[in-house]
Amino acid sequence: METQTHNSSAAVSVSGIDVSKLEKELAAMWQPAKNEDGTVAEAGTTRVCVLNLIVYAAQQEDRAEIDQLLDEVTEQTPGRSIILVADRDSADAKLEAYVSTRCQTSSRGAKQVCGEQITIEASGPVIETVSTAIEPLLMPDMPVFLWWKDIPHYEDKLFNRLVGLADRVVIDSLAFDHPHEDLLRLAEIIRTNPQFMLVSDLNWGRMTAWRSLVASFWDVDDYRPLLDQIDTVIVEYDPPDVAHSAIAPQALLIIGWLASRLGWQFLGQAPHSDGQTTHFTLQALGGREVKIELRALPDREGRDGWLASLTLRATQAGAEFRVAMNEAGTKLETEARIGDAHHVERVVAYEQKTEGQRLSRELGLLLRDRIYEAAVTAAAQLLAALSQS
Amino acid sequence: MSATVMDNPLRAGVRLERTADPCTVIIFGATGDLTKRKLVPALYRLVQERLVPGEFAVVGAARSEMGHDDFRAKMKDAVAQFSEAKRVDEEVWDSFAQGLYYLPVNIDSPDDYKKLSDLLDQIDRERGTQGNRVFYLSTAPALYAEAVKQLGQSGLVNQEKGWRRVIIEKPFGTDLATAKQLNRDIHEHLEESQIYRIDHYLGKETVQNLMIFRFANGIYEPLWNRQYIDHVQITNAETVGVEGRGGYYDKAGVVRDMIQNHVFQVLSHVVMEPPASLGAEAVRDEKIKAMMSARPFTAERVRNECVRGQYGAGSINGKPVPGYREEEGVPKDSTTETFAMVTMRFDNWRWSGVPFYIRSGKRLAKRVTEVAIQFKDAPHQLFGREMMEQVAPNQLVIRIQPDEGITLRFGAKVPGQVTRIRDVNMDFRYGASFGVQLAEAYERLLLDCILGDPTLYARTDMTERGWEIVMPILEEWAATKAEAPFPNYEAGSWGPQATHDLLASQGRRWRRP
Ligand SMILES: NC(=O)c1ccc[n+]([C@@H]2O[C@H](COP(=O)([O-])OP(=O)(O)OC[C@H]3O[C@@H](n4cnc5c(N)ncnc54)[C@H](OP(=O)(O)O)[C@@H]3O)[C@@H](O)[C@H]2O)c1
Repeated sequence: METQTHNSSAAVSVSGIDVSKLEKELAAMWQPAKNEDGTVAEAGTTRVCVLNLIVYAAQQEDRAEIDQLLDEVTEQTPGRSIILVADRDSADAKLEAYVSTRCQTSSRGAKQVCGEQITIEASGPVIETVSTAIEPLLMPDMPVFLWWKDIPHYEDKLFNRLVGLADRVVIDSLAFDHPHEDLLRLAEIIRTNPQFMLVSDLNWGRMTAWRSLVASFWDVDDYRPLLDQIDTVIVEYDPPDVAHSAIAPQALLIIGWLASRLGWQFLGQAPHSDGQTTHFTLQALGGREVKIELRALPDREGRDGWLASLTLRATQAGAEFRVAMNEAGTKLETEARIGDAHHVERVVAYEQKTEGQRLSRELGLLLRDRIYEAAVTAAAQLLAALSQS
Repeated sequence: MSATVMDNPLRAGVRLERTADPCTVIIFGATGDLTKRKLVPALYRLVQERLVPGEFAVVGAARSEMGHDDFRAKMKDAVAQFSEAKRVDEEVWDSFAQGLYYLPVNIDSPDDYKKLSDLLDQIDRERGTQGNRVFYLSTAPALYAEAVKQLGQSGLVNQEKGWRRVIIEKPFGTDLATAKQLNRDIHEHLEESQIYRIDHYLGKETVQNLMIFRFANGIYEPLWNRQYIDHVQITNAETVGVEGRGGYYDKAGVVRDMIQNHVFQVLSHVVMEPPASLGAEAVRDEKIKAMMSARPFTAERVRNECVRGQYGAGSINGKPVPGYREEEGVPKDSTTETFAMVTMRFDNWRWSGVPFYIRSGKRLAKRVTEVAIQFKDAPHQLFGREMMEQVAPNQLVIRIQPDEGITLRFGAKVPGQVTRIRDVNMDFRYGASFGVQLAEAYERLLLDCILGDPTLYARTDMTERGWEIVMPILEEWAATKAEAPFPNYEAGSWGPQATHDLLASQGRRWRRP
């Protein structure tokens, strides 16, 4: 696949951003290419727009990463992206904007998919109000997504204003700077402001394969009754890079998901931790205890913050269900074992998606993800208990 | 299936895909072409994509002798050669191959079903497949009825322990009588809900999209009737010839091979009323209702409103190609039609007076399947007759293959001081809008069958209605074989001149797709 980008000159103006100039330049970019004699060199590309995507970049260094991300996003979800590069450390007031189109020619050569991009560079006091420059640039009445990777763990005016413009905010809990605090803050945002801010978490998307494999055990009629007899859950994970003593959000979210879906309650039994392993006790309907173990594995390259395995046991029935990621991080292996008689194993590909593909996937979701919200809420309960013990 | 299936609380939510029951898929005709080209690659993808559970197995069956491992090796090569990705993931393959078996089976031999039954029971025990089974009949059509009979007599399609479904490949009969006979034969041993008659056109994303386009958008439906639509053109054109299947094709012809099944399926999506729900029966009820209102063909209508054709030598994409009668396996004096145009009329409130022109053929100028809705002229020629003559009426084109998409043609003012109008196309292409691969038809269809959703499969009544509609055409053409002016179109053209003359006589013309 090949990407072509065309950039315009910056549309700078002391009185703010010149929206009509930017729109004109974008329209010009969609014209078919002309030969020197004025004849049309290639067929024009279709201008298709399914969404607006506002991307927040805290620093210039993130730009390369974002560029690559948008290449992939454009291919699957063409639309208008507005990249806001905010230099919060600078005291100089600066506001600049320029436009570009981003065209992807697929490997087969025939398909050309294009998206348009407006980059805004802002610094100094302008940052707080830059959302007013963004609003008129949004494609009318198409959904607006805000990609703000690491939610701010404090009150942030810009964030709040952009959330006000957006239909959905996409974050990545794998990239949280302070995994525990940020997850608690996320739960707080979800609790206090549920109708306004719909959240997508790239990290939750990474766990879809896990969740679907876990769920599929109990699609099998013969196994289904065992789901109500689970008494032990063991999660192994690689600790986050930024905070080695923290429990990875993936591990907390998967427990949060199981607990919220299966009605396992946290009834105040203090959690305890013995170095690498944290133990919680939850209570299922009917009073059955469910022991939860979260085990940190020794650090592995490239796997920071990832789940390594999930084991669910129904001890009395001698049943164990397990999903684990292989060493290379490319496959998921599942195993269902009931006593000595029954044992089924399989290996499936772990979707090797790039971040851009994952982001695209999130951009396809417009509904509120209540399952995720409940998982975050339950995970935050565990964290709260942990911080008290 | 047991009635006490407990729901799975972990399944809830928007992200988790539909999931299938544990089951075994048994392919009759496992050494054949379709198995290696389409079926096993599709099954492998379903496993890879986690769309089927771990408790899943595939059994290949055909007469040839071979062991499980030979079959696995052959199928691995097939996946490497024919899957979209053209490669096999070793670990995923190994795990898939553990559940891949082969058993020599002669469809005529009751003893072989006993062996098959034993193997399937063993698989149920070892792999937890729960007695659920899909039997895929990918053998010569002459064997469908025998296979179903044997399956019935051996108890293999008895649903006491798990569900049992049978997929039947095309062609479904060779005329109305044989289709009815086949339906009777299979109904002796199967409930209609167990029967899945494949029509791979229905598995195509864009055929499904026709429904979305019509019924998820509020703006088209009010226009979708005789008030606004002048006529509809459906073109289903292939550039290929008979591709070494001359023997088969010469007995069939284009009406049997394409129109009666695939084209009618596409057509029914255009003609049908909105279904009450998306349930399989609701959708299929509306489709059959639409086709029931098709005006029957009489000998006279066949003569006046239908055209048959057979290609002579010509060239495709600049390369010379032989005529039909020079193809391998085709008699030198063959009168089989390789092209047909039929004019369909629907006697109901929505479509009364709106002709549906359908053409389908081999060795045409371009490979394309599309539906073009031609709207009526604006009621009053505000801009003068001359001006209006140079704009064509609005047209909505839904392209099904290749290059799936939708085009709307309308008149717009040419910039300048004087009022000049010209046609512009507003074009939406899936390929240019979403860089994602469309799913393979067989994957979707196999998964639907495993999930127990027959919406995209043809129901008894539809298979018979298709034949019923075309029988007078086949009969009239058979009776007047001697008069067929064959060959009457050049390979690489848009079919016989008579098709253009026919539309011209009605003041219309064929669109160039
Ligand atoms: N190929 C395609 O692209 C395509 C497309 C659309 C529809 N179809 C339909 O799909 C079906 C299969 O097509 P195909 O091209 O795969 O045919 P094929 O290559 O001729 O294969 C026929 C299969 O049937 C087996 N067979 C023949 N007699 C048998 C018997 N008495 N008992 C058990 N097995 C028997 C053959 O294996 P042994 O000789 O080892 O027994 C072989 O595996 C046909 O109905 C065709 O119309 C095919």
